Amino acid sequence: MSTLKPFLIRTLQLMLVLWAVVTILFLMFRLMPGNPLAAYIDPTFTAEQQEALIRQFGLDKPLWQQYFTYLGNLLQGELGYSFRYRTPVAERIMLLLPNTLILTFSSLIVAYTFGILAGAWLAWKRNSRFEAAALPAVLATRAMPEFWLGMVLLAIFSFSLGWFPAGGTRSAGTSYDSLWQLYTSANFLSHLFLPMMTLAIYSQGLPLLLMRSNMLDVMKEDFVTMAKIKGLSPSAVVIRHGARNALLPVMTSFAIAVGYQLQGNVVVESVFSWPGLGRELVNAVAASDYPLAQGAFLMIAIVVITMNLIADLLYTFLDPRISHA
Amino acid sequence: MADTLLSIQDLSIAYQVGALDVVAVSEASFDVPQGAIVGLVGESGCGKTTMARALTRVIADNARIAAGAMQFAGQDLAAMSEREMNNLRWRDISFIPQSAMNSLDPVYRVEYQILEVLRDRGGMSKQQARARAVELFEMVGIDPGRLRDFPHQFSGGMRQRAAIALALALNPKLVVADEPVTALDVIIQRQILDQLRSLQRDLGLSVIMVTHDISVVAYICDRTVVMYAGKVVENCDTATLLNEPLHPYTMGLKNAFPDLQSAGTGVLTPIAGSPPDLIDPPKGCRFAPRCPFATELCRSTEPPLTEAAADHHVACHRADEAATLREVAQDPATWGTAA
Repeated sequence: MSTLKPFLIRTLQLMLVLWAVVTILFLMFRLMPGNPLAAYIDPTFTAEQQEALIRQFGLDKPLWQQYFTYLGNLLQGELGYSFRYRTPVAERIMLLLPNTLILTFSSLIVAYTFGILAGAWLAWKRNSRFEAAALPAVLATRAMPEFWLGMVLLAIFSFSLGWFPAGGTRSAGTSYDSLWQLYTSANFLSHLFLPMMTLAIYSQGLPLLLMRSNMLDVMKEDFVTMAKIKGLSPSAVVIRHGARNALLPVMTSFAIAVGYQLQGNVVVESVFSWPGLGRELVNAVAASDYPLAQGAFLMIAIVVITMNLIADLLYTFLDPRISHA
Repeated sequence: MADTLLSIQDLSIAYQVGALDVVAVSEASFDVPQGAIVGLVGESGCGKTTMARALTRVIADNARIAAGAMQFAGQDLAAMSEREMNNLRWRDISFIPQSAMNSLDPVYRVEYQILEVLRDRGGMSKQQARARAVELFEMVGIDPGRLRDFPHQFSGGMRQRAAIALALALNPKLVVADEPVTALDVIIQRQILDQLRSLQRDLGLSVIMVTHDISVVAYICDRTVVMYAGKVVENCDTATLLNEPLHPYTMGLKNAFPDLQSAGTGVLTPIAGSPPDLIDPPKGCRFAPRCPFATELCRSTEPPLTEAAADHHVACHRADEAATLREVAQDPATWGTAA
């Protein structure tokens, strides 16, 4: 019972935040300069044709009425039609979302695995010459812009060495029976490698520095001193009592990092022509494809908000002081 | 007198602070007899906790045992390799920390933390360890049903009892208790001290009880070592210490705490001033600047720790006048002018 109530409260908050996002999105696109149909309507259309189209999209109605139509459609999972593709936005988004999620999660898993281990290692090597060299290097990776890092990796590993393909998710002309076969194929994975590494290099700094500073704090805690006084083996002291406790905030930061990573995706997907939500968002905005841009924004917002919820829940799961209060 | 379990000989422990060495414990010597509770009493910063931790050889990174020996059951703890020492930790010497809240790992159940010691250090099987954990909880008066709780679900008193259970897990020869009841209210303090006393008697343990509270010493300790500014200033059995203290600092400490035996009518008299800076300790007797009885000799020459009476060690130039000084020390005015 005690674990269910905070979950319900969180879910309610999530719905509220989502509603606010939806409203802001709606208003943002209505307040943008220019006619939303400008890109859709051919200049050769007659005035009647134009008006018919405006009516068809419901743009002749008052704003509040459009707003409720929009909300009503959203509740039914209806995101409208893309101006550019003339296909349902939801369909388009569902096609691209897996690519974005695969890129995001694979890069974050690499970044966090490396960051956690290296951070703990650096905490152990405190005040060493190794640390003196490693810390500035980590800070440098944090400071590098992702698009720049992406282009450098492209230049070296794709154009110069030819080890990895330069863009897309698979070589031209290849096809697979199922998505699962595609995602597990060497072809797909070799395409994934460079964009994933770009994002991973960019994002490993946060878990690394967080883990390191947490370890340094935790290793000063009384229970770690007690573990030593108990004569436990150094690995039991450092891993069982040190790292286990230092890991708590790092795990929550993972969920929050997914949100940040989606921002990074917008840039990196464009650099590597990765057909994901981020790249689609950029293209949709450039092409004034408002329904698609709105849908992509909404999807990203949903992922960020959901991951924040998971971050909260993860903490209650990992820290008995919260779940067994 | 019983056999000596632990003999501390001219032990010095220094902290390196910048380029300076701060000697927190300086040439301390005392014995812990088999099966006795020995109090280690003094103000904050007098080196008593440093001394207690030195017995486990888990000391601060910038601290080191600079000189001396700790003869424990025929071996010198100070000279042992880390490997030998680690083998002896908890099996022979265990530790009860001051803050049991922070010394239990918050992410593991209490049972796990007891089993960890029993299995990793005691080599028990899971079944044996489980049974022993129940036995230990019963021993310290906690419902074994609470074993599956997390530390934060325990009250302060229960955590302290759990810490005692943990310390007794492997039947150690010596338990070092660092202010084990300081964080608790007086009722619980008394319960825990009673428990510790009876367990100590039943199990024939030796205990070093670090405390700043002379009433704890009076209540539970067989012998008492008084420390001041890193030095042992007086060391004898507790009754003698309380009735016939030889060192003016002990006399002052006694005045500064409520007397548990009398009905609390006495006025509490603090010792004016504070302990000296150990970076630059005073020449001569370290207590001289605060001592109402200090002479020129006290200020220039450090008094050695000598056996002034049978089994009664004191470091004071005027120990032979102690009977007279005790009379004067009872007058609060004596201490009022010392500042």
